[in-house]
Amino acid sequence: MNDIELKSLWKSYHEKVEQSLSINKQNADDISKMKVHSLLSSMKPIKIFTLIVGILWSVPLTFILINIFIHSYNEVSLFFLYSASIQVLLTIIATAVYIYQLDLIYKIDFSTPVITMQEKLSKLKISTLWVARILFLQLPVWTTFYLTKNTIMEGDTLHLIAQGIITFLFSFVAIWLFVNINYKNRNKKWFQFIFSGKEWNPLLQSMELLHQIEAYKIENQKTIL
Amino acid sequence: MLCSLMKSEKELKQQFHQIIEAHKGILFKVARTYCYDDEDRQDLIQEMMIQIWKSLHKYDGSFAITTWLYRISLNVAISFYRKNAQRQKNSIPLIREHHSVHEEVGSEKQEQLEQLEQFISELSNLDKAVMLLYLEDKSHIEVSEIMNLSVSNVGTKISRIKEKLKKKFSLLNSK
Repeated sequence: MNDIELKSLWKSYHEKVEQSLSINKQNADDISKMKVHSLLSSMKPIKIFTLIVGILWSVPLTFILINIFIHSYNEVSLFFLYSASIQVLLTIIATAVYIYQLDLIYKIDFSTPVITMQEKLSKLKISTLWVARILFLQLPVWTTFYLTKNTIMEGDTLHLIAQGIITFLFSFVAIWLFVNINYKNRNKKWFQFIFSGKEWNPLLQSMELLHQIEAYKIENQKTIL
Repeated sequence: MLCSLMKSEKELKQQFHQIIEAHKGILFKVARTYCYDDEDRQDLIQEMMIQIWKSLHKYDGSFAITTWLYRISLNVAISFYRKNAQRQKNSIPLIREHHSVHEEVGSEKQEQLEQLEQFISELSNLDKAVMLLYLEDKSHIEVSEIMNLSVSNVGTKISRIKEKLKKKFSLLNSK
């Protein structure tokens, strides 16, 4: 089949379809009234739920911790106070990064050329990996918040060694994940295991698309040179 | 001031209706290329129209309206990751195909058309866009403006896709 036959085959069908298309004017009018198509309404319920949980967790705890720092600093375990503070601080940073990235994705200009826009959108979606990286950094503080001065000063050596190993391992895993959770490792088994849920599909599809875009750009550069 | 704002709003709405009416075929063809389920396609067309409406005030006429529409509709279609997701509650049918055109095309052409659609469905999202623009008879310059590819790369891409297509057709015909 040559070019002309191919295009004529395509046209023979679509010209007929085009003639049969009609616009539902009332519904099209509704689109132009949809000014309230906001960031919030475009978000999936699970994302809104995640944000609400993040905010409900961080805001009250921030107030409680500030209150402790000001009024009862000497009365509580410093291990608890600093572990909880680090945890809440990281949750606040992760939530803020998440909102900022969602806002950037929502504001993206769809009228820019396809490869430019898709590259930007894919990179923005992939950058939500930062949220996971930041949240994994919390791991070590979950092994220290229950410690007290007494456990350190008076605890038996074996218990302290076990505690030290656990905290070290959690810190190692947290830092390792923070460094290694990135686009380059998307095909590794551990990466696919962590991001295997249905909710991560858009992220994985963005990675696949970015891979295609990179191949396109390499070819593009070759043809320019 | 308020009066002039209201007027521009009214003008925008009018312009929006005119654009959609004149170029509904672009939206439908892009949606059909990327989405095979009828109801999902209605969602996709709705999303395209929302983005067209949202971007309309930014359109300055520096390039053809069709280039602008292809960019938006292709960008929405490629970003449309809700294939298996729950349908939008406020989904409203916007563009309807009134009767089956398949029956009018003829059985031999119908078979070839199905083969062509099958081939397109197997392409990557970006190759699909290039193939659609080629079939729509867009010049290499227009394709490069829509996609942001060099003109020579557009030529290379189209040749490669056509080569694959020829192989596919000859393989099917030899069976």
